[in-house]
Amino acid sequence: MTAPVTLKALNHWFGTFQALKDIDLIIEAGEYVALLGPSGCGKTTLLSVLGGFIAPSQGSVMIGGRDMTRVASAKRPTTTMFQDYALFPHMSLRDNVGFGLRMAGMGRAERYRKAEAQLALVGLADAASKRPHELSGGQRQRVALARALAVGPDVLLLDEPLGALDLKLRRAMQDELKVIQRQVGTTFVHVTHDQEEAMAIADRIVVMNAGKIEDQGPPARVYRQPSSLFTADFMGEMNHIPAQVTRQGVETPFGVLPVPVAVQGPAILCLRPEAIGTNDAEITLGRARVRDVAFFGTHIRAHLVPDVAPDLVLIAHLPPGQMPSVDTMLSLSAGSDTISVFPKEP
Amino acid sequence: MRVLPWIYLAVAFVFIYLPVGTLVLFSFQDGQLPVPPFNGPSLRWYVDVLGDTRLTAALVNSVLVALIASLIAVSLGFLAAYGLARHVMPGSALIRGLLIAPLTVSYLIVGLGLLIVLTQAGLGLSLMTAGIGHVVINLPLAFAIIYAAMGAQQQNAERAARDLGAKEAQVILLVTVPMLAPAIGAAFFLSMTFSWDEFIIAFLLTRFEVTLPVEIWSLLRSGLSPRLNAIGSLVFLVSIAVVLILELLIFRKRQQ
Repeated sequence: MTAPVTLKALNHWFGTFQALKDIDLIIEAGEYVALLGPSGCGKTTLLSVLGGFIAPSQGSVMIGGRDMTRVASAKRPTTTMFQDYALFPHMSLRDNVGFGLRMAGMGRAERYRKAEAQLALVGLADAASKRPHELSGGQRQRVALARALAVGPDVLLLDEPLGALDLKLRRAMQDELKVIQRQVGTTFVHVTHDQEEAMAIADRIVVMNAGKIEDQGPPARVYRQPSSLFTADFMGEMNHIPAQVTRQGVETPFGVLPVPVAVQGPAILCLRPEAIGTNDAEITLGRARVRDVAFFGTHIRAHLVPDVAPDLVLIAHLPPGQMPSVDTMLSLSAGSDTISVFPKEP
Repeated sequence: MRVLPWIYLAVAFVFIYLPVGTLVLFSFQDGQLPVPPFNGPSLRWYVDVLGDTRLTAALVNSVLVALIASLIAVSLGFLAAYGLARHVMPGSALIRGLLIAPLTVSYLIVGLGLLIVLTQAGLGLSLMTAGIGHVVINLPLAFAIIYAAMGAQQQNAERAARDLGAKEAQVILLVTVPMLAPAIGAAFFLSMTFSWDEFIIAFLLTRFEVTLPVEIWSLLRSGLSPRLNAIGSLVFLVSIAVVLILELLIFRKRQQ
């Protein structure tokens, strides 16, 4: 089962602190959306509003076309996969996964059959009689997922579900979550502060900051053409180059660059480290001295000091095959589609 | 020296258990007085005690009062702990303090207070009034034990249960109570032992039907007898049994 979600003009205050500011968001049925942002940005509050654990101060929540703003979590077509799993330690996995069905009044035989099918979906078919304390972190994770999906929710809410797992397991679970989501077709809303996780998993990333939605779109767009300086920085490392936008173009230490921009006046030109290369791309950045280099496996990370702007240090990710030695001179360039320009914040 | 600690241990245990040991030993005395020299063993006093209808009635009364008063004290203590742990309300620190405060009041004062209130209210003294007294003294204990065991883990599980469609009663019965079973069990069995042994309140608040400690008291007034030793041994046996159940069922489980 699946349903679209529409959030309209949501505002929420905790005392005098405004946790959500004018949130408008439409989530399509069957979409995988990641709510991404630093801690305290309001993403978990937004998830709690969706799940019915917090009633918003203002605004409305529509799920599947029905107004759910004041409906309790028990009565919503949503289930939540909690950060700490919140499994029932005194019940077998079968009873854990079947709990929602039991609450819905389903008989024992059918409930167990369904619960075991859900456990099979997450690869725990043999463990149905075990208790949660006998499982590893990753397995508990899967039980929590099976339990949340067992009741056939229209929308599954995931609250930093992979936060407690180590990196390798986290990457494996990301792939698995995505596969399961495709299989069941349920709308997934996934809260995370890890931008790599968000990019790996989501159809659409919603970047939040200080209670507001900063940017939203497919991962590649949000990463490559961020719509705000905050998003640009939060999605990954950025070189900040001071610039001045005039009618001629963007004036930078590297000359006037022919980048089309809407802003005027003092600006910051952003360039990803992997966009800087030694090939001949459209925009030349001149010669630069290699200050230091480090090998990262997939790339070489280098600090470069451009000749034209000795105060500036550029970070570049160069191909791993050729390690430049310190103090050699490289001539740099970047593709014009990799550049974004934002007004300088006062 | 490794010997000294062992001697210390032996002396400490002799100090603790000598009175109980003597009591049990002389309950098997074949004679009229529970004093040395020891003659026996003989079970005549146990036969005498178990054949005494007043004593067996008092024993049954004690069990009933302890069971019912503990059930009520634990239920009320659990509900108070659940309410205070799960809901934000003004003055909750004060309410907690007021719930625990009776622990510091002596049983004599609690008993006297209840005696005055109950007679003023026109309630005749009976096993029920003694039971009320035991609820009063055991409720703070049950509340404190259960409240201390409530943590974020249950709270998250409760939230998950609600999210999966559980009503409030189902959340409490299917999630909170089973997760807190060790603490609830400990509170119940401790209440049982306190109520089972309690004398002053039972003495002040009963009249015709009495609990075992009160019956023993009235027997004591007619002088020492191995009968009393036999009763004491039986009481001790019951207490030991309760403690063993507590140990086996509750604390063993918690270690897992």
